[in-house]
Amino acid sequence: MKAEYVNSFFAATQDVFRLMLDLEVKRGDLKVIEGLTSSKDANIILGVTGDLKGTVFFSFPKDMTLKMVNIMAGMEMDEIDVFVSSALGEVANIIGGNAITNLTNYNYICDITPPQIIVGQHKSISMANEKALVIPMETEIGEFDIAIFLPEN
Amino acid sequence: MMWKDKYLIGVEKVDQQHKELFKNLGDFIKLVQNKEVSWEDRLDKAKETLDFLQGYVVFHFDDEEKYQESIDYPNIEEHKQAHKAFKEGINEYVEIFKEGGFTEEKMQEFSAKLMTWLIMHVGKMDQKIGEYVKSREVNA
Repeated sequence: MKAEYVNSFFAATQDVFRLMLDLEVKRGDLKVIEGLTSSKDANIILGVTGDLKGTVFFSFPKDMTLKMVNIMAGMEMDEIDVFVSSALGEVANIIGGNAITNLTNYNYICDITPPQIIVGQHKSISMANEKALVIPMETEIGEFDIAIFLPEN
Repeated sequence: MMWKDKYLIGVEKVDQQHKELFKNLGDFIKLVQNKEVSWEDRLDKAKETLDFLQGYVVFHFDDEEKYQESIDYPNIEEHKQAHKAFKEGINEYVEIFKEGGFTEEKMQEFSAKLMTWLIMHVGKMDQKIGEYVKSREVNA
């Protein structure tokens, strides 16, 4: 696990949140976990291919998810329906795309696969029980996690 | 209201068209998310709005590209590629609707994606046009 991945995803998250949501993002202390379970309500999986192969997993609480979509759409949302989960999936997809661009600065050429959206807590996500690095992210509308599992080829 | 004044680029015609796009997309989302009315009763209006949006995106992108040519915008090719990818994204959904029907869920999915694409495109890529125009004015 390298600082390059963390920096690339954190910078991409800050840029996209500022642009799309007018929110500043702070980073909490990094954690290492084994095996992934969705601990929050709205979860998005992005596959990474190329020089790095693996998975990036975004996990958002319900209130925050609804508030994010409210900021973008300018209207209240009261449930995580297809509209809300698709919007969230696309935000994660854009963050992933920007992070991949940032990774080229460190000479990693990668691509991402379309987002997979999982709504609901306590669903386990198979990642071959390898260790993943979790970046906790803090904003004024809530906290969310990005878990990165990217072994080098 | 989806529109935010930070999306302004300082070119009146382009800004007006952007506002029109955000307004119509906002109306589309309101309609698609108005679950108090049955989908059957919203469907015709949703199709009509989708048609309008698709046409307006093409009209606006063409107009904006002409404007970029008129000011010798250096990033025009990159921008044209982004417009092309954006239109392809819409066309993919038009195909999905044709084949699988205009279901409420697919319309929700499409309108949500369109919203994020539009915010990113106008909020990021189009801002560079505004920056270029301003830099020309300073150097003139």
